[in-house]
Amino acid sequence: MTHTYRIADDVAWVSQEDLDADAEPTAYLTRVPRGMPIMLEGSGCLVWLALADGGTLEEVTASAAAMSDAAVEDVRDDVAELVDQLVVIGVVRED
Amino acid sequence: MTDEADGRTAPIAARVHLAHAVVQKLADDRDIDLLHLKGPAVLPGLRAEGRHSSDVDVLVRPSHLARLAEALEWVGWEKRTDFSTGSVFAHAANWWHDDWGWVDVHVHWPGVMADAEEAFDVLSRTSVMLPIAHRDCRVPDRVSQRLILVLHSARSGGTSDVDHAWIAADPAEQDAVRRLAVELDAEVALAAGIGELELHRSHPTYRLWKYFSDGGSRTDEWRARLAAASGPRAKARLATAVLRVNRDHLRMELGRPPTRAEIRDRQRLRVRRAVDELARRVKRS
Repeated sequence: MTHTYRIADDVAWVSQEDLDADAEPTAYLTRVPRGMPIMLEGSGCLVWLALADGGTLEEVTASAAAMSDAAVEDVRDDVAELVDQLVVIGVVRED
Repeated sequence: MTDEADGRTAPIAARVHLAHAVVQKLADDRDIDLLHLKGPAVLPGLRAEGRHSSDVDVLVRPSHLARLAEALEWVGWEKRTDFSTGSVFAHAANWWHDDWGWVDVHVHWPGVMADAEEAFDVLSRTSVMLPIAHRDCRVPDRVSQRLILVLHSARSGGTSDVDHAWIAADPAEQDAVRRLAVELDAEVALAAGIGELELHRSHPTYRLWKYFSDGGSRTDEWRARLAAASGPRAKARLATAVLRVNRDHLRMELGRPPTRAEIRDRQRLRVRRAVDELARRVKRS
């Protein structure tokens, strides 16, 4: 069975695109209303932006790789690990 | 490959966006009517690009204030100033959160003289949803936002907000803002914001808006406040407040609750300053 991933319903987030488009990729997020602030920098932010569109792990990986001009194979393990962590802390939902 | 870090190092602009979303979630869960104002709640085109706020401003339906206060405390906000000490207009209470920073909770907007509950109804009936931090937040519509920004500018001695909120508006939009100002009993404040204050010289609040436009001494401010206060009870309350130490502000200045001795010292200083200023005026006259 193939799982899909998406940002959880109770998450608020903002990225550097909303604040200062010239800044380094960074996403700031929290679970509302009582979550801690979390910051994802660099490639972590790109994975987050890929998750904003939702999809399977393959689709998220492909999207993140495209945004970072990297080969899918080069980032696959790291994307999977980060997505796992984000699921564990509840900011990404696995369906 | 990442880079998950402590969000407490997030820039203020990011924290402000997230704080708006947190407050909206609290409101949604408790049926609290509120409107987000200024900062990321400003609709596109009504403020200069790249400008960011350092705090969150919300206008809450006055009858829902207690529920909002309880909700803010529940998630860790602490009230640092109350309505009576927050500003000259007694319009906002300031709340602090270690992660999310300042939230200014307003029950009415400076310059709006209509009853606060009725004013909220007027502003909320045309309100719209705007995503902030990817969550729907309720904000006033464009006409209301233009008025709110101009009133804020008037109170702040004139800001570039007027360029976007008023000067850039076409005549039909300006007429709509004027009509809304009439409905909210905010014509004098609007006039102060758009350079028409002299048309209202006989209005009780004229001096107050003149003070905000042109500046002046503390005595000028209090005279203007006394002139604007409606009714003998309000005037008496103001008169006794003139020399009273603002404990909330002293606490913010010290970063801790002031001791009795510190309040006493500050009280003496306040009285001495008032006497000095009075002496200067007597000499001048």
